[in-house]
Amino acid sequence: MKHKVVRKAVRMFAEAELGPIAHDIDRDARFPLEVVEKMMPLHFFGLQAPKAYGGAEMDTISYAIVIEEISRVSAAVGLCLTVHNSVGIYPIVRFGTEEQKNRFLPAMARGERIGAFCLTEANAGSDAGGVETVALRDDRDYVINGTKIFVTNGGVCGTALIFAITDTQNPQRSAGVFIVEKENPGFAVGEIEDLCGMRANPVSSLFLEDCRVPETNMLGRPGDGIKIGLATLDAGRLGIAAQALGLAQAAFEDSVRYSKERQQFRKPISSFQTIQNYLADMATEIDAGRLLLYRACAVKDAGRPFGAEAAMAKLYCSELATRVTNTAVQIHGGYGYSKEYDVERYFRDAKVTEIYEGTSEVQRMVISRAVLAQRT
Amino acid sequence: MLKLVVCIKQVPMVSELPWDPAKGTLQRDLAEGMMNPACRSALDTALRIKETAGGKITAITMGPPMAEEVLREAIALGADRGVLLSDRKMAGADTSVTSYTLARAIEKACPGFDLVLCGFSTSDSETAQVGPQLAEELDIPGVAYVDEIEISGHTVRMRRFTDNFLETLEMDLPGLVTVNAGRYAPRHVPLGGLQAAFDGADIVSLNAAEIGLDPERIGAKGSATKILNVYSPTAGKKNIVLTGAPKRIVEQIFERFDDKIGGAIGKDLKTERK
Repeated sequence: MKHKVVRKAVRMFAEAELGPIAHDIDRDARFPLEVVEKMMPLHFFGLQAPKAYGGAEMDTISYAIVIEEISRVSAAVGLCLTVHNSVGIYPIVRFGTEEQKNRFLPAMARGERIGAFCLTEANAGSDAGGVETVALRDDRDYVINGTKIFVTNGGVCGTALIFAITDTQNPQRSAGVFIVEKENPGFAVGEIEDLCGMRANPVSSLFLEDCRVPETNMLGRPGDGIKIGLATLDAGRLGIAAQALGLAQAAFEDSVRYSKERQQFRKPISSFQTIQNYLADMATEIDAGRLLLYRACAVKDAGRPFGAEAAMAKLYCSELATRVTNTAVQIHGGYGYSKEYDVERYFRDAKVTEIYEGTSEVQRMVISRAVLAQRT
Repeated sequence: MLKLVVCIKQVPMVSELPWDPAKGTLQRDLAEGMMNPACRSALDTALRIKETAGGKITAITMGPPMAEEVLREAIALGADRGVLLSDRKMAGADTSVTSYTLARAIEKACPGFDLVLCGFSTSDSETAQVGPQLAEELDIPGVAYVDEIEISGHTVRMRRFTDNFLETLEMDLPGLVTVNAGRYAPRHVPLGGLQAAFDGADIVSLNAAEIGLDPERIGAKGSATKILNVYSPTAGKKNIVLTGAPKRIVEQIFERFDDKIGGAIGKDLKTERK
């Protein structure tokens, strides 16, 4: 019952507050601060953060439902939330010291400081070991230099987790994660990227030039970077799967509605078997993806390793989102290719879910490793 | 400490309701439920009173077990406790029987209440009868279609906008109001509150025997009115081509539509033309 009520509450919010502007914020590539401000007191920015730090402390299936329902209306805003909650807040909750949690979590959980996770660089993405940003120790501080690209929430982030190496002689083993705030000297936001989809999210590059942070801003110990990064991405993948699912759901609902309205040969196109088969496949894939995602969420909540399950959910949901939104455009015909109809936006938004938080190729690598590690 | 009672009904979410194209009816059994919009306004009004004057809010609903959802939602929004009246014997109640059931349950679960708040009407049946009938059953004064409310001591002052008039009324407590929808934009459900409402909330469930209802006066059996048929009115479209000289066309328009045109401009065109 709880999950149903959560879904209805978020759907009502999303349709009332984001529904009327979802098209325009995509067209104008505008981050809807006025809606984000309404989300803040409703705990959208502290979905799973502990109550002690002002969060809602929801279970992971509830979290997935929130992301799904927001993304069903605006995937770009869903993206802001999933990145903030899962790869912004989660690593601090999981790996932070008590002092770090007290210092950073309350403002993040309130949404006053939006989080970003910065791994990707010009020469590093799928290969986390290729990171070139360096954080060198200077007395009791670290001084960070480097450039991060494609940072989701980059243009609006208040708190960024920066992935950097602390020893240039030993990059792999010295990686660390640093909590950097936008006020830290040497921290600068680059231009907002002009992307195919998710246009309402201010994805940008971030420049770190002699950016000095106290050593107490490092998550874990030097060398923990890879471990923290991988664990964070496991959680992040659940959110991206949920986002992809929300997009697919929206495209599916629009397709069902349109196929009943659109008349060809003096009949609604839903009366044709070809369209019926499209709809049947869409419904089946979405349902399968949803079950895969909720299973992964349940495994996480049970405290068991969920990396392979999260990778499967992310892989399947992102690929189904691309297929379903593609079919949705096809069902809408010429109108589906027009910006007048939302399916055009869903189609553009869906593609990147196969790319970020680990490409489909990386997900298959993660899954196959888990499969091959099992005894047969 | 003010004791506020808010009556809430879970109604079908019509936008999500599947339509049976063969029968031309809504498939109500497949419906997702939601809090009736006017009940949401009643709850909102109670929350505003609680925020300014203090008090405890009891949310009460009658319905199938699923109706517990709206109580959790009410608690997430700021109500203090929920009372669910659920019993197969209560099913099929008309408005009079619903009012009787609610009245006895309120007396049982909220003795010494100060103010009962209801939505002015529900979106699924639109009778707007339960609120006023409930005031009669509880033998307290009641005011319907209230837009704004202020409490000072044991008096409530209310405003309502009706037929281009703004009325201000006063009522002594205990009393009942039905609240108009749409005066304030309803607040959204805080997710932390929702999680807390499911982690542990004060919700009691009462059946007919526990409330002490007369079995002859409840449910479909006790109801004086019976629903014979539910159908969806259909609007048809017809193209009419008017021919002839312009004067003749205008005359034809008036012949066909003068009652509607007259209604719009406030004149009886039939008599005027004669």
